[in-house]
Amino acid sequence: MKYNRINIIGLGNVLHGDEGFGVAALNRFQETLDFPDIVHCIDGGTQGIYLLDYIESCDAVMVFDALIPVEYDRRVYIYRNEELPAFIHRKMSSHQMGFSELIGLARLRGTMPREIVLIGIPPKELELSMELSAEVSLLLPEAVESGRAIVEGWLAEG
Amino acid sequence: MAKKIVVDPIPRIEGHLRIEAKLNDRNVIEDAYSSGTMWRGIEVILKGRDPREAWAFTERICGVCTTVHALASVRCVEDALGIAIPTNARIIRNLMNATQVTQDHLVHFYHLHAFDWVDVVSALKADPKQASAIAQSISPWPKSSVGYFKDLQQRLVGFVESGQLGIFSNGYWGHPAYKLPPEVNLIAVAHYLEALDFQKEIVKIQTIFGGKNPHPNYLVGGMACAIDPNSDTAINIERLMMIKKIIDETNTFIDQVYIPDLLAIAGYYKGWLYGGGLGNYLSYGDFPETTLEDFKTLLWPRGAILNKDLSTVIDVDPRDASQVTEEVSHSWYTYSKGDGKGLHPWNGETNPKYTGPKPPFEHLDTDKKYSWLKTPRWKNHPMEVGPLARVLIAYAKGDPMIKDTVGMVLSKLGVGPEALFSTLGRTAARGIECKQTAGFMRHYYDQLIANIKTGDLRTFNSDRWQPSTWPEECKGFGYTEAPRGSLGHWIHIKDEKIKEYQIVVPSTWNASPRDVNGNSGAYESALKGTPMINPEQPLEILRTVHSFDPCLACASHLFDMNGKEITSVTIV
Repeated sequence: MKYNRINIIGLGNVLHGDEGFGVAALNRFQETLDFPDIVHCIDGGTQGIYLLDYIESCDAVMVFDALIPVEYDRRVYIYRNEELPAFIHRKMSSHQMGFSELIGLARLRGTMPREIVLIGIPPKELELSMELSAEVSLLLPEAVESGRAIVEGWLAEG
Repeated sequence: MAKKIVVDPIPRIEGHLRIEAKLNDRNVIEDAYSSGTMWRGIEVILKGRDPREAWAFTERICGVCTTVHALASVRCVEDALGIAIPTNARIIRNLMNATQVTQDHLVHFYHLHAFDWVDVVSALKADPKQASAIAQSISPWPKSSVGYFKDLQQRLVGFVESGQLGIFSNGYWGHPAYKLPPEVNLIAVAHYLEALDFQKEIVKIQTIFGGKNPHPNYLVGGMACAIDPNSDTAINIERLMMIKKIIDETNTFIDQVYIPDLLAIAGYYKGWLYGGGLGNYLSYGDFPETTLEDFKTLLWPRGAILNKDLSTVIDVDPRDASQVTEEVSHSWYTYSKGDGKGLHPWNGETNPKYTGPKPPFEHLDTDKKYSWLKTPRWKNHPMEVGPLARVLIAYAKGDPMIKDTVGMVLSKLGVGPEALFSTLGRTAARGIECKQTAGFMRHYYDQLIANIKTGDLRTFNSDRWQPSTWPEECKGFGYTEAPRGSLGHWIHIKDEKIKEYQIVVPSTWNASPRDVNGNSGAYESALKGTPMINPEQPLEILRTVHSFDPCLACASHLFDMNGKEITSVTIV
């Protein structure tokens, strides 16, 4: 097998509207699709550095997260491998550690998985709410479908 | 004309913690204002829900402090409903809590705070031979050969030169406030990377007891994990052995890496003793050996110290309406009976009303309301919470382990106890405490094994699980000492549902705005009097704010593709 372990991670804070997109997408992915045991689904919340192990412990990782794209448009964005930025911020709190920082650390440590994919949607509402906005909800199936196709591709390669 | 420095996360990601500091003409901070610029409002989400589920929502408030909110939440519901938890549940919760504190302190030191003292770029100039000699002189830690440091340095040089990966590009490297020789910087960078491996291991303890991680499971009435030495699926001999191994490795890492690094780094900064601040310290206490109300058995004692007076530790009762209060005279909320009147959390109100400037703005109107944080006070005093508060209270109460370790640190640095009232003292206290909680992990492991050996496998008390067994109306208080300080959850249950829920988190104590009497909060007070070498690179501000380990930026967590600064600095 080319891939012995694939991690699917949903990121975000479910208490802040579209911030919770990543976790909502992960839940939909997990509930509606059936994959072999090597595919692990992880609700990562906003754990920052504590998620490093979930990147380093697999051969391929797919992340769902709300994101701020370079050119703003409300659609599903997919970034792969080198397209993903890696940097360590000067920050006020250890809780500001983002996924880009984890990728930076994994690159420095030489522990990057073979494949890494980010699937995200720019948020519309970030107010206190446990619901996604109508706009992001409409795009969610497409994000999950894109994720399914990518994971199936990985499994077929194996 | 006085300058004003503003340190703020970039506005697009919703601000979180913003510091405005006024400098005099010699660039010394004359006054400072701390503002939480994002409303969390979990209290509103909890209203009307099943109290048994509250922990799962509170666990989501913060990405990093998940278990502490879950713990405070189940404790407050159990307190309200009069539920006594089984001995195993108490021990497991203590073990998980000690694990959390130990891990959190270590991650804070290496992954948030270290680069306030350690210059990565300087490490490129280090002599690996000398670095190895220094490392071997301060610790028996085996990863200290010349080749090890040489390899690491080459890897760092490669990353910096390739330019493709500017992961460290946002630091204030070369800032004159950095005092370490290149070799000590290189050692610290090595341990920054090693600590990442370490934290991956220690977290497995939460997974074993909590069923999963992140977001381990808690349960009102006990813990959800089953103990059965002979079962494949429960906490069995194999898992217990794994926990034992992780605990041993944790203690080794702290004794051989964290503490020697702390002492080595602090030795170069003992002339920089700014950032002391209030001199008032509060701890609710934690780590009960029996019940949470049997205060004498708490391994972390409860109490308060005022005006740095270590001769007197004052009793604290967070249930007393006259002791712990929150007011909103400088916060974007309104109270029905007046914003400056402190309310005990059981009588708390959460009515947000933003009256600040419309973003983007240059500065806040700090004479009026300027923060989303309320202003908690203990008997009307602003208080510092966290490791320094706890260590000082334990020290003042004569705790032998803390007295010994504090004494060792002070004598190795050649400074007196007054040096503890500083940013560096806060950072040292965190290390001292981390050593202590790593010891607690051993203590609770031994307790758990001893209790299992008596044949007691119970982890859950189901007597009051059914809402039909509950009183019509009741109130409860749950507390814990989280890594960054005193955390309280206050609940009011009526007709089987949450009527009111109030949380006072540690960072609200430390980052609070002014109170109605004009007294500064802990961050504000600690920043006053600090000289800045270069106001455009406010390393000194970050150093002191980081020493409190702020928990303010976790509510929102977008992936920003632009690679821009998260924290901006402007001078107006």
